[in-house]
This record gives sequence, C-alpha cells and structure tokens, in this order.
Amino acid sequence: MRFQDAAKDARAVVYAGIQADPLVARAGALLAEATAAERLMARAAMNGERTDPDVWRRIFPTLFGEVPGDVAGAGAAAPGAAEAAVNRARAEAILAVSLEIAERGEAARSSYRGAVVEELTARLLARRAAPAAVKRERRVLFDGVRAEIHPYDVTVESDSQPEVYDCKWGARGINADVLNQLDDARAHAADEEISLAVAIVVFDARRSCEMRLDRSTAEHAGTRLIALESLDELAAAR
Amino acid sequence: MQDRHPVTARAAQAYGDLADLAETVEDEWQYVNDLRDAYLPGILALAEAGAAGGAAGEGGEGGAITEAQAAALDEAIAEISLITDPHKAIDWLSTFPHVVALALDADLDGGVDASFGDSAGTEPDEDSPFRTLGGFR
Repeated sequence: MRFQDAAKDARAVVYAGIQADPLVARAGALLAEATAAERLMARAAMNGERTDPDVWRRIFPTLFGEVPGDVAGAGAAAPGAAEAAVNRARAEAILAVSLEIAERGEAARSSYRGAVVEELTARLLARRAAPAAVKRERRVLFDGVRAEIHPYDVTVESDSQPEVYDCKWGARGINADVLNQLDDARAHAADEEISLAVAIVVFDARRSCEMRLDRSTAEHAGTRLIALESLDELAAAR
Repeated sequence: MQDRHPVTARAAQAYGDLADLAETVEDEWQYVNDLRDAYLPGILALAEAGAAGGAAGEGGEGGAITEAQAAALDEAIAEISLITDPHKAIDWLSTFPHVVALALDADLDGGVDASFGDSAGTEPDEDSPFRTLGGFR
C-alpha cells in the first residue's frame, strides 16, 4: 500500500484555489478552537439565508450573552468576566468568518464549506500526528488493485497506523460510493496486513448521520463516523 | 419570562413546513421523512411540556422561558421560513432541532444534546482499527 498525490483535473485546480483561500484557513483555525455549540452556530450561519450578525446573535443567545461587568462599580471584574469575554470574542470571530463564507453566494459557499471541513479535520489531526504526515487530496494504491478515481480528503501517512478521511459538510453527503471506497481501502489494506483506519468526518449532527448510515446498504461497519459533536476526537492524543 | 408553549409550537409547525418543502427532492424523500420522524416529536414534546407548565430554571422541560430564549426561537423560525430551496431545507432539517434545543437548554425526546457542548461520540467497534488510537475512545 502506498499514498500518491491525486492527478489534478480542471475541477481540482479550481477547488485547490478555494482550499488555498486564506478565508478557509482562518475558518479552520477558529473552528479548531471552537466548542460544539459554536460549531453548530457556524454550520447554521454558513448555511443561512441572512447575513446580518445581529440575527445570529439573537438565535444563539447562550454564545453571545452579556459579559459580566464591574462589581458594583468597585473596579473589580465580576467572577468569570475574563473567561466570558474570551468566549464571547471567540464566538464573534467564528460568526464573522461564517458569515463571510455565506456571503460568497450560494454557488461558491458549498465549495467553501467543504474546504473548511477538510481544513478543520487536517488541523485537528495535526495536533496528535506529525504535521508532515497529515496530507490532503491523496490516493491510496494497493498491489494488483485498480486505483480509485477520487482522492481522500485528508490522510495521515504513518507507517505504523495510516488513516484516511473523507470529509462532508452534511449527513446527506454520506452515500454508497463514499462508504464503499472507504471500506474497500480498509479491506485492501488488510489484505496487505496493514491496519488502515478509515473514517468519515461530517460537519452535521451525529443523529442525522446515523440515520443516513442506517439506511445505507454499503458496508460501513469498519468505518468510523466523526460527527459535529465529537470532532475533537480527531485531535486527542494517541 | 414567558410561556414556552406558543413559540415552541410555532417551531414545530415551521419544522413541519420545512420538511414539506424538503421532501420535494424525490431522491431524498426517505431521508427527509427519517429526519422528520426523528426530530419533530421532540420539538412537539417541548411545546407540550411548556403547555403543562413547570418552574423555569429548575432544569425541567416545562414552564417559562426568558425573553432571549423566545427571541432566539422566533429568529430561528424566521430563518427557516425564508428558505425556498428544498436542498437547503434538507440541510436545515438536521440543524434546526439542535438550534432549538440549544436555545432552550433542553433535551429533545430521543437524545438530542441540548447543550451541544459536550462530546457525544459513541464507542468505537471492538474491531475498529481506530480502537488502537488512544484518542478515539
């Protein structure tokens, strides 16, 4: 088994431009530090009809509550004020970047959202894997097996424990083609006595993803689901 | 403070309307109705709990909500009411119930995580290669 850069067709070249947009990197960096609730807000705002930030502040009052002020004017900060201010600032930054993506328009925003999920996945994985081992848009080749056309969004290319990830904005992106490709890779690696971890990362609620998986007839018992609520699992120490 | 029931009932109605729009995508009819069947009863249960009353701030599901919570739901309802694209409606069928739950700090029937703040990952299969990765619990 070996990894290989994917050949770049015209579509891939265009998409590479989106992946390289600093907006994607900024969104990925902010979401890597986010709570699950902030990620839920990002999902909603990036997929919203309105881009007025006050609308979204009202929809998510728990993220944009008032920061405690001075205690009775005594000059001392109220308990938790500093932490609340940090949390509020982070939520504001996530909202701003999410709305910036939403403002790219309906056609572009879906590409941007996909790129953001990939960027976030790569950043979280890089917290526990050697950064140089985390790669994008890579194919996996096996002896005697015809190569898959579609590359994997993110890979961790370790000799001892390689991993491949397919990233999706929504549960609706979970389909038989994706699941079959992941499971085939796992099985082919096993034929070579390599334990290849395969997973699908979905920026959507776990329950919705599981509904999608439950209806799928494609083999996926060996494929791990990492959903919106549990993205930090990607970063946990080995 | 105000009664939870009216605004939560409006949320349930808006969710049903959104599902009606989404199911016009014929290829996704099953998924749309799976989402509706999974989430709508939970939203309705919140409304019924509100109608039944109960003390606010006691961690229960009935009773009053704050003005900010009511405004959050009304804004979320307004947001999904603007959707005309059935494909976008499908995306929101998955998102809206969690937004409602987060705003109300409540649990929807069936296990929607109210806070959406804690990892809710499931245990990996015994045979999964991820089991060898300490990070994947």
